Amino acid sequence: MGTTASQLGKDMLSEYQELTFLTKQEILLAHKRFTELLTKDEKDLPNTRVPMDRILTLPELKSNPFRKRICDVFSTSEYKDGGLTFEDFLDLLSAFSDSATLEIKSHYAFRIFDFDDDGTLDCGDLEKLVNCLTGETDDTRLTPEEMRQLINNILEESDIDKDGTVNLSEFQHVISRSPDFVSSFKIVL
Amino acid sequence: MSSEPQRPGSREVHDYTEEYGYHSDQQSLRLRRGPSRESNQNQPQFDWSSPHEEEDEEGSSGPPRDLRATPLPMAVKRAIRQVQQMQVPVVSSRDSWKRKNAKSLRKLKDSGMGFLSFFSLWSKTLQKIGGNFGGGVQSYFLFLRFLVVLNFVSFLLIAGFVLVPSIVFRSVGAALVNSTGQGACMVYDPNPEGLVVFYNYFLDLLSGTGFMEYSYLFYGYYNNTMVEDQNFSYNIPLAYLFTTVFYFVFCLICIIARMGTAARVVVATGSSTVGDYSMIVFTSWDYGCLGDRATKLKQQNIHYQLQVDLEEESIKKRAAALTLSQKIVLYSLRVSMCFVSFGLIIAAFYGIFAATEFSQVKSGQGQGGILGLLFEYLPSIVITAGNFVVPLLCDQIALIERYSPSTTVIVALLRAVFLRLVSLGVLLFTLWRQITCEGAENTGDCKLCQYNHLLYPCWETRVGQEMYKLTLFDFLINIAVLVLVEFPRRMVVDNWSNKLAQWVGRQEFVVPANVLGLVYGQTVVWTGALFCPLLPLINTLKFILLFYFKKITLFHNCRPALKTFRSTTSTFFFLVVLVFGLGLGTVVMIYSLSEIRPSMGCGPFRFFPSMWSIVPRSFHNLSIITQEFLFFIGSQSFSIPLFALSCVVMCYFVALASVYGKSVALLRAQIKLEGRDKQFLVKQIEMLSRRQQILKQTAGASS
Repeated sequence: MGTTASQLGKDMLSEYQELTFLTKQEILLAHKRFTELLTKDEKDLPNTRVPMDRILTLPELKSNPFRKRICDVFSTSEYKDGGLTFEDFLDLLSAFSDSATLEIKSHYAFRIFDFDDDGTLDCGDLEKLVNCLTGETDDTRLTPEEMRQLINNILEESDIDKDGTVNLSEFQHVISRSPDFVSSFKIVL
Repeated sequence: MSSEPQRPGSREVHDYTEEYGYHSDQQSLRLRRGPSRESNQNQPQFDWSSPHEEEDEEGSSGPPRDLRATPLPMAVKRAIRQVQQMQVPVVSSRDSWKRKNAKSLRKLKDSGMGFLSFFSLWSKTLQKIGGNFGGGVQSYFLFLRFLVVLNFVSFLLIAGFVLVPSIVFRSVGAALVNSTGQGACMVYDPNPEGLVVFYNYFLDLLSGTGFMEYSYLFYGYYNNTMVEDQNFSYNIPLAYLFTTVFYFVFCLICIIARMGTAARVVVATGSSTVGDYSMIVFTSWDYGCLGDRATKLKQQNIHYQLQVDLEEESIKKRAAALTLSQKIVLYSLRVSMCFVSFGLIIAAFYGIFAATEFSQVKSGQGQGGILGLLFEYLPSIVITAGNFVVPLLCDQIALIERYSPSTTVIVALLRAVFLRLVSLGVLLFTLWRQITCEGAENTGDCKLCQYNHLLYPCWETRVGQEMYKLTLFDFLINIAVLVLVEFPRRMVVDNWSNKLAQWVGRQEFVVPANVLGLVYGQTVVWTGALFCPLLPLINTLKFILLFYFKKITLFHNCRPALKTFRSTTSTFFFLVVLVFGLGLGTVVMIYSLSEIRPSMGCGPFRFFPSMWSIVPRSFHNLSIITQEFLFFIGSQSFSIPLFALSCVVMCYFVALASVYGKSVALLRAQIKLEGRDKQFLVKQIEMLSRRQQILKQTAGASS
């Protein structure tokens, strides 16, 4: 089963409405934007997988420092190349939508920040995360001294079981204290 | 559970789909996954599926809503759904009916939300603002939208109960209630005689005099008609009074309702031990940021915030290490600077006081033309100048005081709020002094009518005019600053490339100052609502125009501020300041209702000793049962048990909150202990396996 080129069937539409947090208009808009990314030949194939570099031309993702991680997390590709099918794209928009729950958002945020995909955020993950947040160029990075102090502070605050890493429940504990997270973890087309 | 053998010396990619225990068509995909990344560590694989086994059972018979909230790829969710649908429902008919109901209710709710979002004002614009300038600026515009809606609904209230009946009764020609009173007090002639020069109309529009004075805009035009037919009775003065009081109560309820969500979060996070750093790093990225420029600015923001926090930490460490003499010097400096800032504020108050007296005297003399307009607007001019100059000076003072950055912002804001609201209070105080002859109502000019009828034949209209002028002037100043300062500044910065222009830079959209402007405008409206019933409508239009003007200046002239404002805590702070303004308006209203004698020449309360006295008078027209009921509610035998009951309820909630806090602390300690247990067991396993290997080696060597 898959989506054919230009039209989205009514039964597929209602199924997507049940399986994601998106409204009908949002799904149709997503379909429109996704088909704009396809080349002419790809439009005829069902279930095409759009490679990552084309997904990253979308203006909503183009300048996001986490864009590569987002594609990696939502991609169901066997080759781990970050390519997304239309259903992966809908999963992405559903997790980033207005009505998604805090649990889903925090779960996916954790996976995005887990750069080495090992299920926990250790010092290396945290360092890469902070560098993404402040900018990759040399003059926007924190000094090594500041970075060390920052990572120590983070682990002291959020590592409850003191194993040197932040796991999913500790991460969700931090997120639940933040009132801004749900409104900032949002991508709307 | 795990289908792949664990190879020593390699690290498994953590498998999130195992969490939910479903191995349908994704399983073959996982087996074909590429080789796991090589690493020297041998990490223990957490088995996340066991705590979620009960979710398996729930998932198979629970409502489909749970499916949306599972973090699985679409194909897996579809497979689960198919399995759910194929399963023979083991539920009773009642359960299935309940589930069908819930599903249709959810669909109805979704379509209802979609319909309502069509009506929500400016939502696309707000999203765009949030994406490009961040949550702090967006919270300002959200606050502005809230005030627009509040003012519009208040206007509908006032129009429905006061304006429309007045128009109807006036056109029908309902008789006025007359009474004998002092003849001199009843003289009130607002319409100018003879030919009026045409530009006077423009001046009248700006200052609320002339043709605007005797109109529905001001209190003086409303009559004290009390219609009583067989089936229908309507008492305009009573309606006027109750509508105004209800308007204040309604605004208070709206503000508190809006504070509700923000307050709940602030109280919940207030007692947590999770600090700033994790919060900033995990939650501060705004995924709605569009474009390279916005992203770079957001990154600069976060960088600045982290640096500032780390710096504050080191400052605190250094401050704790100060010697005694250094501490004394610092504290005495802070105290003296506090006095200096208070002195500045008091000087501003005195300036406003003097300007208001001068303006009242001069406009009493009736000077015409531009000079007359200048005198009329003198209080507003002085207030605006003070509100502009004094915060600048206070900012310089704050630099000397050397507080930590976050404290500096809060202190500056509190000073500015204090200045703005109390400067309005000074204006009102001066007016009061002149209306009631400095409180002594039986002396001098006030002897005849208990208010100064020579200066103010209709003092309520006068107060209403002052508030009207303040509102209008505030709006004109905002527009003028936009046109004369912000646009030229941008043109200068963009087209000149010398050092000075670059140092000055583009305008920054400073959120706190703008919010204080809104709070001030709204406070003026609340203060004047009793005397100028159409003021909420004027304010609605003013705020709508302000929204568009501020949006234009934001997108064309401003760059995002480096120092951000946290959006939810700041919304709460804005609403608290708004409540202060509402308090000021309430004090003015209560005082005018009960203490000052209404004008005898105009208005709906013209023959009453005070505005409130109409309530006891109309009270006696009610039926006996209603009177007895209302007496009972006001008596002690009702209010004391009510007070005791509310104390008991409050104690219950306080106890509940403390119990929750204690259980959170207990659970946190438990998690810590379990983590340590886990580490201990892992160490034991390593030790045992090492011992086994050693034994094997020695056994192999010996054989």
